[in-house]
Amino acid sequence: MRHVAHANRKQYWFIWGYLLVLTLAEVGVANLSTVSKSLVVSALLLLAVVKAALVGLFYMHLVHETNVLKWTVAIPLASPVLYAVVLIAEASWRHP
Amino acid sequence: MRASAIVAAADEHRRDERPFPPDADFGTATPGKIGMWVFLLSDANMFAGLLLAYGILRGGSEVWRPPEQPELGINFTAGLTFLLICSSVTMVLAYAAMAEGDRKKAVRFLLLTALGGALFLCGQYHEYFGIWHPGLSERGLEFGSSAYASTFYVTTGFHGAHVFSGVVLLLLTALFTRRGKATLHDIEAVGLFWHFVDLIWILVFTLIYLIPE
Repeated sequence: MRHVAHANRKQYWFIWGYLLVLTLAEVGVANLSTVSKSLVVSALLLLAVVKAALVGLFYMHLVHETNVLKWTVAIPLASPVLYAVVLIAEASWRHP
Repeated sequence: MRASAIVAAADEHRRDERPFPPDADFGTATPGKIGMWVFLLSDANMFAGLLLAYGILRGGSEVWRPPEQPELGINFTAGLTFLLICSSVTMVLAYAAMAEGDRKKAVRFLLLTALGGALFLCGQYHEYFGIWHPGLSERGLEFGSSAYASTFYVTTGFHGAHVFSGVVLLLLTALFTRRGKATLHDIEAVGLFWHFVDLIWILVFTLIYLIPE
């Protein structure tokens, strides 16, 4: 039983720290008024993707899984991004 | 084979903690874990549908928030986000305790995780309806009054329903663990669901709350 477990308490707390810092960074970035909106939105999206990846890789143990399982998860999770880019761009183009 | 014998055999198989013979594609991941991932991916696409609808409506709108409707509070929700992150830590600590065979400690961390989820739900109730100061619904954010209001309630409400089912699952798992009926695999599966709820909230928080007007 023990060798199927990938429990690493120190790593879990490190990830907690990163998530906390990144959340504070998000709130800081969202309140920035001196830079352009597109820059703020890009930074927020990047921060969210990094946080989600940390949770998926380390708390959901994807980092220990085989490449087949990693891709099985990553492809369906990433594909809605493609629809989002196309459909939101189209909606914004129709109503500029 | 009689039905009861099949159930008993399936139960014994589920509770068998010997490692699976490594599979060429999936390593030592159990069928239960792969099944949970498949469920989570279908669930992720339900959230993707809601967030896409939100993105399309917002991208195609001239004024997203009607001026008479309230803004969403970022700081309070950042606190709720922090609460979910903390409950993810207690979840992995429950897993770690179970991996070391410390069932009592695992139960304690499972209950703490459920508490985090319950507090999150209280926070969400306060945000919607107000406990110690007026909630969004009292300040003019009525469901159906604008795309801004409807997408907000549908998306965060659907997530809240996930938190609720997660809390129920966690309490049941804590009970079964206490009785010695849950295995490490069960705790890992409920953990996957719980972390997924956290992961989705990270995206919802950014897209619904943080994107500036």
